[in-house]
Amino acid sequence: MLKGFQDIATSLSNRFVDQWKREGKQVVGFTCSYVPEEIISAAGLLPFRMRGIGATSTSIADTYFGPVICSFPKCILQLAGEGAYDFLDGVILTPGCDSIRRLDECWRKAVEDSRGTFPGFHVYYGVPHKVTQYSLEWFVEETKILLESIEEYFGITVASEDLRDAIRVFNRSRTLLKRLEELRSREHVPITGADATAVIISANAMPRDLYNRILEDLIDELDQSKDGIHGRKRLLLSGSANDDIDLVRLIESSGGMVVADTLCFGSRSYSDLAEEDGDPLLSIAKRYLSHTMCPRMFGYYKQRLAFMKERIQQANVQGVILQNIRFCDMHGSENSLFERDLEAMGIPCLRIEREYGPLVEEGRIKMRIDAFMEGLNAG
Amino acid sequence: MRKEYREYHFDRMVQSIIHFASLSYDGTHKEGFGMFRYAPRFRDAIQTILMTGEPGVLLLKMIDTYLIEILTAHENGKKVALCTFNFSPGVLKPLDVVPICLEPVTTLGVAMWLRGLGEYLNYCCEVGFTETSCSAQRGALGAYLAGLGVRPDFVLCNSIGVCDTNATAFNFAAEYLELPFYQLNAPPTLVDERARTYHRHDFRGLISFVEEQTGKNLDCDLLREVIVETDKQDEIMCEIEDLMRLTPSPVPGIFNLFMYSAKYIYGGSRVATEIMESMLKVSKHNAAQGRAGTTSGKEEARAFSVYVDHYSAQLRPWAWFDEKNISHLGCMMNGFWPVHAPYATGDLKEGTYTMDPTNEETMLDSLADQMSRMPMVKQIRGPYDDPHQWLTDTVASIKTYKPTFCLYTGTIGCRNTWGSIKILARDTEKMGIPTLILFGDAFDHRITSWESMRDRIDEFLTVRRILE
Amino acid sequence: MIVAGCDVGSLTSKALLLNDRKVLSCAIQRSVSRPEDSARRVMDQALAEASLSCDDISYVITTGYGRACIPFANDEISEITCHSRGALWLMPGIRMIIDIGGQDCKAIKLDQNGRIIKFTTNDKCAAGTGRFLEVMATVLGLSLEDLGELSSHSRNPLDLAAACTVWAQTEVIHHLNNGRPIEDIAAAVNLAMAKRVAMIANSLGMEKSACISGGVAKNSGVVAYLEKQLGVKLKKPPRVDPQAVGALGAAVIAHERVQKSREIPRPAAAEESTVQGGIESS
Repeated sequence: MLKGFQDIATSLSNRFVDQWKREGKQVVGFTCSYVPEEIISAAGLLPFRMRGIGATSTSIADTYFGPVICSFPKCILQLAGEGAYDFLDGVILTPGCDSIRRLDECWRKAVEDSRGTFPGFHVYYGVPHKVTQYSLEWFVEETKILLESIEEYFGITVASEDLRDAIRVFNRSRTLLKRLEELRSREHVPITGADATAVIISANAMPRDLYNRILEDLIDELDQSKDGIHGRKRLLLSGSANDDIDLVRLIESSGGMVVADTLCFGSRSYSDLAEEDGDPLLSIAKRYLSHTMCPRMFGYYKQRLAFMKERIQQANVQGVILQNIRFCDMHGSENSLFERDLEAMGIPCLRIEREYGPLVEEGRIKMRIDAFMEGLNAG
Repeated sequence: MRKEYREYHFDRMVQSIIHFASLSYDGTHKEGFGMFRYAPRFRDAIQTILMTGEPGVLLLKMIDTYLIEILTAHENGKKVALCTFNFSPGVLKPLDVVPICLEPVTTLGVAMWLRGLGEYLNYCCEVGFTETSCSAQRGALGAYLAGLGVRPDFVLCNSIGVCDTNATAFNFAAEYLELPFYQLNAPPTLVDERARTYHRHDFRGLISFVEEQTGKNLDCDLLREVIVETDKQDEIMCEIEDLMRLTPSPVPGIFNLFMYSAKYIYGGSRVATEIMESMLKVSKHNAAQGRAGTTSGKEEARAFSVYVDHYSAQLRPWAWFDEKNISHLGCMMNGFWPVHAPYATGDLKEGTYTMDPTNEETMLDSLADQMSRMPMVKQIRGPYDDPHQWLTDTVASIKTYKPTFCLYTGTIGCRNTWGSIKILARDTEKMGIPTLILFGDAFDHRITSWESMRDRIDEFLTVRRILE
Repeated sequence: MIVAGCDVGSLTSKALLLNDRKVLSCAIQRSVSRPEDSARRVMDQALAEASLSCDDISYVITTGYGRACIPFANDEISEITCHSRGALWLMPGIRMIIDIGGQDCKAIKLDQNGRIIKFTTNDKCAAGTGRFLEVMATVLGLSLEDLGELSSHSRNPLDLAAACTVWAQTEVIHHLNNGRPIEDIAAAVNLAMAKRVAMIANSLGMEKSACISGGVAKNSGVVAYLEKQLGVKLKKPPRVDPQAVGALGAAVIAHERVQKSREIPRPAAAEESTVQGGIESS
């Protein structure tokens, strides 16, 4: 079962997507955890969170993006330019951060010159950066526009009941993933951080109801497993987007065990449920606008710190790895605030700056993680 | 940060330089310029400003007044707000708050100091900024974080949804200094009713926040003064901009810098209007004589910067343009979009603001509209080719001012413009405007020195046959 | 009991042999493409200098970038730990170590018991590392030593855009073309380097009792500027080459390991196999 998740996590597309396409159904990509998958799913489309995994260079991306841009959107653009995203029928782009939002124009321009395609359906979905009554109203409207444009382009009508069903399915996922998180908090950890990361990432890369069924089985299996791993230093991974299980493997190869995270490809993606009663659009908008926050939501540092502390306590974390992709000033600068505040509480932290996924400089990162682990083990 | 740097307050040092520079013109011309021999470190920048005559003197006096206002705010019972540059300061006057406009203060430091603000830039990294963060904030902010300046009472940010690295810096400052924080947030669209409503709510939230911080209410009479004055100074600014359309442009290139400096620091105040009036006078005089605004009176090329100017070289870029007889026609930082703007034609009028003094609500709406159209806040909030965004505005400026070439310089912190400049440059090239993208940092000469950048521009002007 | 520490860096490899508290030999060589070859060569040199063979070595610890793939190592330890141990061994009571190697620069802060409190390294860029100086020295046509020495003659260090090695190179060429005195350019290079390193060290909070190690410690120009930037006199490692502090630390840990294993009686065979597994003769 884990092998299946590992396969999904280590490649861009997967057999579930292939199967979906063979059935004549369509896939809509999105770039950020602030895009409500329920909307896409309710329309009978497969929501697929875009990643840069498998890119081996950024030659195409560098033609459009400037030199001081995060390598995550660059890798996505590279893959798009190489045609690896041709399976997408639509794409939803957001101002998740300044690097990722420029993917919009860079991608559009790149297809004028190279062989990749830009999906016929594309929306720039404006997510506000603050949580207030008026920003929520704005966001509800924005989400309604998104839904209408999906309906119009794909020739589908989405009923309120479809949205409610989708909410239930996604809430089920979140509840299950929460359960997985609890299992990881046990003294004997039944699953490595790398595998858990693969499981979480898979949620955004396959049909959700199917995912829920497999996940349920996995959780039962893990729940009953007697021989968990223990005695290794328990770590929390935080910071920039990471969908690269090799980074987690690299960390764990130094002797630690990643038992928790606060990543958008991790616990932030399942942290809060959408209300199942009432107006489904409002409920979806509320969940996505105010769910556990990315630093793109400015002025909410204390809430994020509280969320991190909660994870640390729940999972008995002994050390925190605060990483940021180079040029990610939001996570990079906030990481130093976390470091200041967590170390004051006696929790050792390691701050690292890295490149995204395939471009990660293993030796340099490994050296620092080793040294950090040596310190943790000595302490 | 080196020990020596901790000995002096940054804002006090900048103020004393500007203060004495502004006095130098009060004597005879000979006395004034004779003195520069004894100030080799500040000479270039100050001379470049004072060469313009009255407008330059007024500008220095204005900055001096402004810095004194910051330095004495607490003594005078006023609260101090740490603000983004693109935060129209007019609204703070009726709230009795003095703004530290962070980026303009950084600019003063990098423009005046021979060796730039490296120590302060680095200090931000020492306390936790990424090295890739924007230098425009890090420069002066390093000093404020180190306690080497007036301690702000709260933080006001107008770049959220516009520039992450900027917003991050203000957010960090608020956390680090434990200050209350209010953010204005720009949605990706501008002129639709939804965006307008959003901005107006957001702006009223700002007023309530500041009132809460100061314990004082918005003074409606002062607000009206600001509204009327803003309109008046915008009109003059636009008249100058209108003159820039002439060939040769009778407007000295550095006036663009003066215009946006005045707007950022004293928008809505009489003192900024006076500078505008003085600049208009000089420009009109040149126009009447058919002279270019350059020292020689000749114009051999026309430059437009699609983003910011280059500040980290003691204003030598302006001196160099002048020497080369190139009319510098401003940059995105001049794009305020008042209703009188010469570039706001046809459908683009929709993207402008008007100042309506009818009642409190109309006045607040006017300021909210103005705030949402400040440079950068307007142009880089959404996809670069959406209506009223970077491309439209660049094209509008090109059509209005007819530059013979375009330049891009930014900072290494600028994800947003570096994310789409290559595409934008492609578009301007297609319009027949040679466009040069320069790798450098407007506030940090340690990235690329002005000399290297100058050589690149020079080479470009030759290779592209812009200067024969 | 003789132990060895071997530091396989990206630009140079270092090996150091220790007998109790005495340094028997220390070798430094340019790294070659395969870390295992670098390690073997530098170990061979150290052994030859001490007239020893592999069989004489009880325990080897490797460190540095290439440490993981060295077949003769008994264990591998990160260079952060090794540098701090080496520095402490040479300079007891030291609280801050600044090490500038070929491709990275690190600052390590220790508590009063010599335990690592915090460390940091430079970003992935070559600016602020030995590589930066090498590139600049080549452009200036100087040796690394001259680069350091020359800058002390400068009366007017230039300003250098040095946030990036590639761009700094252009700047240096620019200054050369303009006929600026070479000592002023050399000083600018060293000063720019010192400023970047100071930023890294300051981010940990500088300590009074600090030392500098790594190849760049041999550049008197950088050290002098760095001291000025930090406002602290930097100790230089006594008795061993500053480049070999990491290898020394690895050897010190190896020494402790062997001593510890001797305190606890172990089955002779197991002990034997560890020793035997140490180094194979080539």
